[in-house]
Amino acid sequence: MKVLLVDDEQKFALMLAKRLELRGIQSVVFFSGEKALETVEQGNHFAVAILDVKMPGIGGVELKRRLSALDPRMKFVFLTGHGSKIEDTTGANEAADCLPKPLRIDELIATLKRLTEGPPETSNSKH
Amino acid sequence: MDNAKDLFGYDSLAFFGKVNASISHELKNVMAIISETAGLLGDLSDMASTGTPIEPDMLKSCTNSIIEEIQRGFLTIRQMNRFAHSTDSPAEAVNLMDVLDLTINLSGYLSFSGKVCLNPCKNVSPTVSTCPFLLQAIVYQAMVYAFKTTGPGAEITISLQARDDGGWRILFSGFSGSEFQVFPDVATSAMATSIGVAIRFDKTDDRLVLDVPLAIESTTNPSVAPGI
Repeated sequence: MKVLLVDDEQKFALMLAKRLELRGIQSVVFFSGEKALETVEQGNHFAVAILDVKMPGIGGVELKRRLSALDPRMKFVFLTGHGSKIEDTTGANEAADCLPKPLRIDELIATLKRLTEGPPETSNSKH
Repeated sequence: MDNAKDLFGYDSLAFFGKVNASISHELKNVMAIISETAGLLGDLSDMASTGTPIEPDMLKSCTNSIIEEIQRGFLTIRQMNRFAHSTDSPAEAVNLMDVLDLTINLSGYLSFSGKVCLNPCKNVSPTVSTCPFLLQAIVYQAMVYAFKTTGPGAEITISLQARDDGGWRILFSGFSGSEFQVFPDVATSAMATSIGVAIRFDKTDDRLVLDVPLAIESTTNPSVAPGI
């Protein structure tokens, strides 16, 4: 799995990328929304984008909107350092996959797996 | 001084809240980095326990990162403490360089902050008797509007100039004039009036000018010019 990781807190992003790498997840790190947008505009595909909500310039919510327009297959996870309710910053639609900082790595891994593998099939599922 | 006391009301509380929210965000980022680094150290320990060799440089990098972030956290808490104590008195003798230094540091916690340079005030102590909290609120708000108008590339230079009447002039370079379509807002104007600070835009040099009286009590009829 290849993920796009965008956070202006450089150390945080690099540490997280290393931890994901140790778990077999390759991430490409950018410290600004503008640079991340450029790489997707150039045709690079990522299964999931992990985006910080609050960043200088293009914030996470706006970045998601623009990335979705470029690559509708891309899934998203928001990271937020804010103490306020997630809905206040990202909007109710995006709140489902928003994880607070400090992160719990197992929670992030589970979210990434769910987003890329889809919901578990049940015995009643139609084929 | 009574006016300054009166303005320790909603607008001041809102400013206090905004600054504290930005500080809490900064501290949360510090904790997040420490948490991730500690997590990585845990991952490396797990690997070591299964026989995977660990590079010493990686361990050193992690511990250095934790030390740096703890220092950053302490510095942030120190600014938070200075800011909290600025509400101690509605009027006191303050060094304007201290007020500006603190306000610049606080503005740095905003996600959209730009670059601010404070020119040193050599061989003289720019001291006035004012309400440090309200003066900070005015300076902070000026920077907020400059950052928002110019964007992430905003660069402001602040310097001090002595006035003939003993007061001081705070000069902000790097303003385009667009900010003055929205600054000062009503709340900021009221705060400025209450402590005798006059706000104007110097079109010739494209700079914001705050005239700070030597003492709040010495102000007779402060003027606020809210437009270009």
